[in-house]
Amino acid sequence: MSITTDSVAAEPSSRAGRSRTNRLPAGFAAALQAAGAAAKRGLGDAILAELVQVRASQINRCAFCLDMHLALARKAGESEQRLDLLNSWAETEGYYTPRERAALALTESVTLLTESYVPDEVYEEAARHFDEPELAHLIALITVINTWNRLMVARRIAPGGKPW
Amino acid sequence: MTNNDRGNDTRATTSAQATVTERPARLAWAKQAPEVYKAMLGLEKAVAEGIDPVLLHLVKIRASQINHCAFCLDMHSKDALAQGETVERIVQLGAWEESRHFYTAREVAALELTEAVTVLTDGFVPDAVYEAAAEHFEEGELAHLIAAIATINAWNRFGVTARMTPGHYHAASAQH
Repeated sequence: MSITTDSVAAEPSSRAGRSRTNRLPAGFAAALQAAGAAAKRGLGDAILAELVQVRASQINRCAFCLDMHLALARKAGESEQRLDLLNSWAETEGYYTPRERAALALTESVTLLTESYVPDEVYEEAARHFDEPELAHLIALITVINTWNRLMVARRIAPGGKPW
Repeated sequence: MTNNDRGNDTRATTSAQATVTERPARLAWAKQAPEVYKAMLGLEKAVAEGIDPVLLHLVKIRASQINHCAFCLDMHSKDALAQGETVERIVQLGAWEESRHFYTAREVAALELTEAVTVLTDGFVPDAVYEAAAEHFEEGELAHLIAAIATINAWNRFGVTARMTPGHYHAASAQH
């Protein structure tokens, strides 16, 4: 007997129906999209932007965001192997550049804010690889994806569901 | 800026005890990313148009406590006081689970939701918490509340990461 995939092959419309609500205040999504677009422009590294957004979404367990940003990462040319290993990037060697690792460490600290502040060594390592405008936009990108993560998890928006 | 530059604060230290030296901010993020800052103000405006300001202050203070954002605590506790919130209700926010009788049932439901959405990595947002909030807030209000919690979490991340300096905010002269 073959393994059935029925449970995961539900119609997108029925999955979207699981959302608690897809309401957002008027103008809110547009403003958050504007913040994200400005952050990505200021960072100027499309691949890194997707790595950061996938990593934050892993930590916050945002299914909608993971689905979206994994697809965007692949579209931007990211490799399957680097995406597969991202959940344990700190334990790898040779897959991510020192600049990417500094950004991923910052992503973890800024995302796990309730566990501690943002340690000086993490901030300073990021500041070695990113100039001030880049760093400000990297922090902004981490913050914006954290905001989307909260909106999607709280409202339980399913992968591929209608986000607002 | 010095330790003596704290405006209208009432200092509890005696004159013989100097406080430790204030640390400078790490990064003037709003200056370095002005478009992002402008968009953040857009989020704030979208939220504020659909939520009771008394409740919004409580949510902002509680999230800022959980995220340890000193700058945000300075700003939002001063704003809340300036707009008539009591010292008692602000102080008790740090232990609101034990002092529910200081707050309305609606406020308690909002604080529970604030806790769950802020401490996201501990395990999603439980159905019981979401449903309790949905009993007190109709769908549009709940959308504003969720957006408000997400937005203060965003300000908290900027505040902590850039190490924005607390103590210099004046409620009467500045609002973000």
